[in-house]
Amino acid sequence: MIDLNTKLGNRLSLSNPILTASGTFGYGDEISDIVDVELYGGIVTKSLTLKPREGNPPPRIVETPSGMINSIGLANIGVDLFLEEKADFLKIYRGKVIINIAGRTDFEYCEILKLLTEENWIDGFEINVSCPNVSEGGIEFGTDPKILSNLTRKLRDLTDKFLMIKLSPNVTDIRIPAETTQKCGADAVSMINTVYGSAIDINTKKPLINSVIGGLSGPAIKPIAIANIIKAYQVIDIPIIGIGGISRGEDVIEFMLAGASAVQLGTVHFYNPLAINEILQFLEEYCSQNNILSIGDIIGKAEV
Amino acid sequence: MRKFKETGVVENVKIARDIYRLKIKIPDIVNSVEPGQFLNIYFQDSPKIFPRPFSIAGVDDNNILIIYKVVGSQTEKMSYWQKGFKIKVLAPLGNSFELDSENNVSYVLIAGGVGVAPLMFFRDRLFLMGITPYFFIGAKNRNELPIAEDTKSKLYLSTDDRSLGFAGNVVEHFKSMLGSIPKPVSVYACGPNQMNKAMAKLGIEQEMKLQVSLERVMACGLGICQGCTVKIKSATSDCHYSLVCKDGPVFKGEEIILTADER
Repeated sequence: MIDLNTKLGNRLSLSNPILTASGTFGYGDEISDIVDVELYGGIVTKSLTLKPREGNPPPRIVETPSGMINSIGLANIGVDLFLEEKADFLKIYRGKVIINIAGRTDFEYCEILKLLTEENWIDGFEINVSCPNVSEGGIEFGTDPKILSNLTRKLRDLTDKFLMIKLSPNVTDIRIPAETTQKCGADAVSMINTVYGSAIDINTKKPLINSVIGGLSGPAIKPIAIANIIKAYQVIDIPIIGIGGISRGEDVIEFMLAGASAVQLGTVHFYNPLAINEILQFLEEYCSQNNILSIGDIIGKAEV
Repeated sequence: MRKFKETGVVENVKIARDIYRLKIKIPDIVNSVEPGQFLNIYFQDSPKIFPRPFSIAGVDDNNILIIYKVVGSQTEKMSYWQKGFKIKVLAPLGNSFELDSENNVSYVLIAGGVGVAPLMFFRDRLFLMGITPYFFIGAKNRNELPIAEDTKSKLYLSTDDRSLGFAGNVVEHFKSMLGSIPKPVSVYACGPNQMNKAMAKLGIEQEMKLQVSLERVMACGLGICQGCTVKIKSATSDCHYSLVCKDGPVFKGEEIILTADER
């Protein structure tokens, strides 16, 4: 039996290093009839905003080689309805519950965190400072170090729970936001959010996505994620949660070798809803074949 | 209840130009499937990652039928599938057509091209109840008509190129016949966006009860990616989006707002 327990700093421990990525698993209850949610170390919810959001006009998604571009625009039910409708399911969930928060201003992020940090069934927060699909807020929080450090400090002061900042790859050097978040007291960083992407219909000459530029995800971005994790791992000590096109067990090992302590499954939920079963089985096999007693032993072991 | 299954192809036959009927063995789902619902087919190791959604066109013994048209590389791959080929499916998904609450209505089904699929299943269900619906099917030309005769409906065919049946599109055909169909009518439509749009408009003009099954590009088919929106008229806000995969694919004609550039 391989030890898959994963400690993410002092504030959060997982039964295994696999989480869901925000926006690809709803609030946990939506596909629990198909996928065994208890197989994950935890759920990261769809982004919550203070007020409900309708999201962007269509077309919101387009399939691209080994990936997809989305421009959903943070469509979500808002924090009040979330507490009303989704809490019951998450309260009895045995894995960890991490709430993804998005806002347009520092005030909005702080208000949501204040509302939720008192809930004892919530284990932590992931801060979305990297959504490329909203006109205000979103990505600018993650790409400007000054704005990022202000926000991270304010949120740190408001909660003793696990606080993770989700970083954007749409920067010149990921090491800068990674170091900033560590310095400001975050417990972990998750990376990467989607990569800027676009696609054009050659017949109509129109963009295939409403906002022209959206966020690329899926296997197409996996090498970008690996490169960014290798870079960030060299400069920060807080855990890195790897995200970006993970489809198979082999990918999880690769992310961990690059420096990730845990990973999130995202777009794969759309094309292989049962990926978690295959991945956990692979991790067991890989570890026993390679005489690895604890999965954590491989973190950052890539010879780079 | 929807289930993810690894199963096999039972039959895959060409029924018209570029149009195929695929029979998939899914015994434990067959009895719970309702007309209007769809299923996802998953493709392995392809640069195209999305599963493809298909309306369920009928059930037979242990099998589910779908009708598909070759429009891209995934459906082209499907056209080569032979008996016994293993595929992964998730079914059933989405909502279904609702029967009219009144007893003495004329059921009218309007199909454009492969939009015939969910309506064939609905026709089967009506026929089992002793109802013979009016079934209008339109295609570009006679070679693309998915069915040419039918014992379970009063069939009305039309082609854009005048090669068979009524000369013109299926909505015009239905309009021309509307006077001779006993009122009240309850109409069910599925076709390309332009046809659905024209039907929604006609439904409002004629104050007809209309249910439309919509098609959208979907990443998940499960209501989680939030990609397959349709604009819904709402009393409380200017703009409200519903998801075709979860809230649909069947919507009431009067509630949807279809724009020209929907894909």
